[in-house]
Amino acid sequence: MSEVRPEEVSAILRRQLAGFEKEADIYDVGTVLQVGDGVARVYGLSKALMSELIEFPHGVFGMVLNLEEDNVGCILFGESREIKEGDTVKRTGRVASMPVGEAMLGRVVNPLGQPIDGRGPISATQIQPIERKALGVIQRQPVKEPLQTGIKPVDAMIPIGRGQRELIIGDRQTGKTAIALDAIINQRSTHTEKAKREGVKPVYCIYVAVGQKSSTVAQVVDTLRQEGAMEYTTVIAATATDPAPMQYIAPYSGATLGEFFRDSGRHALAVYDDLTKQAQAYRQVSLLLRRPPGREAYPGDVFYLHSRLLERASKLSEELGGGSLTALPVIETQAGDVSAYIPTNVISITDGQIYLEPNLFNAGIRPGINVGISVSRVGGNAQIKAMKKVAGSLRLDLAQYRELEAFAKFGSDLDKATLATLRRGARLVELLKQGQYVPMPVEKQVVSIFAGTNGFLDEFAVEHVQRFEREILELIELKHADLLQTIAEKKDLSDDLVRRLKTILRQFTDSFKSTVNA
Amino acid sequence: MKNVRVARRYAQALMAIAEEQKVVDDVAGDLADIGRVLATSRELRALLSSPVVREGKKKAVFLELWETRVNRTTMAFILLLTHKQREHVLQDVINEYHALRDEKLGVVGADVRTAVAMSAAQERDLGARLTRSTGKKVQVRAAVDPAIQGGLVVRIGDTVVDASVRRQLERLRKRFREGEPLTNTHA
Repeated sequence: MSEVRPEEVSAILRRQLAGFEKEADIYDVGTVLQVGDGVARVYGLSKALMSELIEFPHGVFGMVLNLEEDNVGCILFGESREIKEGDTVKRTGRVASMPVGEAMLGRVVNPLGQPIDGRGPISATQIQPIERKALGVIQRQPVKEPLQTGIKPVDAMIPIGRGQRELIIGDRQTGKTAIALDAIINQRSTHTEKAKREGVKPVYCIYVAVGQKSSTVAQVVDTLRQEGAMEYTTVIAATATDPAPMQYIAPYSGATLGEFFRDSGRHALAVYDDLTKQAQAYRQVSLLLRRPPGREAYPGDVFYLHSRLLERASKLSEELGGGSLTALPVIETQAGDVSAYIPTNVISITDGQIYLEPNLFNAGIRPGINVGISVSRVGGNAQIKAMKKVAGSLRLDLAQYRELEAFAKFGSDLDKATLATLRRGARLVELLKQGQYVPMPVEKQVVSIFAGTNGFLDEFAVEHVQRFEREILELIELKHADLLQTIAEKKDLSDDLVRRLKTILRQFTDSFKSTVNA
Repeated sequence: MKNVRVARRYAQALMAIAEEQKVVDDVAGDLADIGRVLATSRELRALLSSPVVREGKKKAVFLELWETRVNRTTMAFILLLTHKQREHVLQDVINEYHALRDEKLGVVGADVRTAVAMSAAQERDLGARLTRSTGKKVQVRAAVDPAIQGGLVVRIGDTVVDASVRRQLERLRKRFREGEPLTNTHA
């Protein structure tokens, strides 16, 4: 290697700096009139665009939210303490946006896409605006592929399809986040070789934490990392300490990242945890910007706030690559009040809801899903045939059980049929219980629900149900692995398979009986 | 700044009547004189903003001060303002009136900051160049600001053309620290 001579260095520097000198910077400016509580009013900026990024001093950025006759209302994404009246602000000429790409996977970022996990800069190649118009009718197609959550009651009775918007609603401490996290963790199976053979496409996940404690977010990230789910997941965090404007835009950033995967023909799952807090953050900035308050002091466009976000979840037509973005918004209710403003809004926007109840949760039925009022309006089309076959009678059995359950409390004489229904129902409820972070592949779910709805559990006491399930699944995995594989690949239960399953179950029941009595 | 909207309405009305009576420039001159008086007299400013002094007394003061010195229209306007209890926005009205007049005449002001004072020839040259590039008559208001280190900063309305050495150093620093900026695909 020949040495670099000093003249060469200075020549290069001179050339670089000479080019630099010619660039005069042209930008538009305004003056801060008023600042505080995360919002600022700026005089000037007469050419500012809606939702354009504005640069304040000390590296703080803001976004235009109000355009008025003689001033501009901005929300601030940083410390408003350092900004003073009379400061000069600059237009950046670009709307609020965030970097997207595969490089975002495995990272924890803030709603502007800046990393906050201390793992260095992210080398994303593209920037997309965080507010984008949802796709129209032509670009879409009906939901048709399943998004397996690995949670038995959900996959069986409230199936979610790729491109669907399914609300998770319930009081605090009822396991809403647990359902969402299990759904994310279960997507690990879609990134395996096995999934490729079965024709299941990988699902990339985005977890948006809005207004949560930083410790909770750290815990979620830790769990996802331990379960190996961070490899295909991005966490977007706007915690309780972040300014309200950050919390307000966080779900839109998540949707933008999800759209990147969707638009490149892949599948994405976005969890917005939770939209109640986002609505509250939006209410805060709206009131500070002096927009008129409406019901529960929310601004008039709070419905649009959520509808334009959830509309971005979609299943693209084949011409556009057939990608999808599934949304799992979370709403926290107060004392089970689903008729409050925000819950009713989001219920009406989504394609169904998973309703979690504290009394079920506290009675040990976990996940505490009330399957009676939980629905999925479009997911049924996406369910695999095998599951559809076994789950049909499950829904019916449980409905009958709930109806009779109240009567049975009186303990009076009951006829045989009623007793049988009650017996079956109690066992099915037990069967649908599932631990956290242990998602179950759909083929196993089919076997276990098949055993329940075909009465193989009826003769055993409720406390033996979970052991029965564990052991039968072990047995089938060890000795009849081809059976599970067939269900996974064919996605259907042929008569032949049903016969085989029944034989295996009958044999197993006999041997199980001896272990119970012993 | 809160009064800008009110002030603009009054200024527009005054402009309209001045145009009708063809005294736009006279009124502008009067208002400029009044502005100068306001800037120098603290007592007058206090009188304008004081809600304690009665309308009649204020009117008497204004009449004594200006009746013989200003145009009839200007005087009538000041009395109207006092009658409507808006005399405290007088300074804003004066600014808005000048802004309206400049707009009508196609005149814009350019604030120019340089690290060292410009010569008169440089200032004329800059004015001529700005007039050519903006298509409006540019009045250069020059100021010296050593903080920009070199070059010049021109501000016309809300738009700033920053060709200062300070800005270039800032950009150089930013480029070293962050590398090349990302390109916006939706630009």
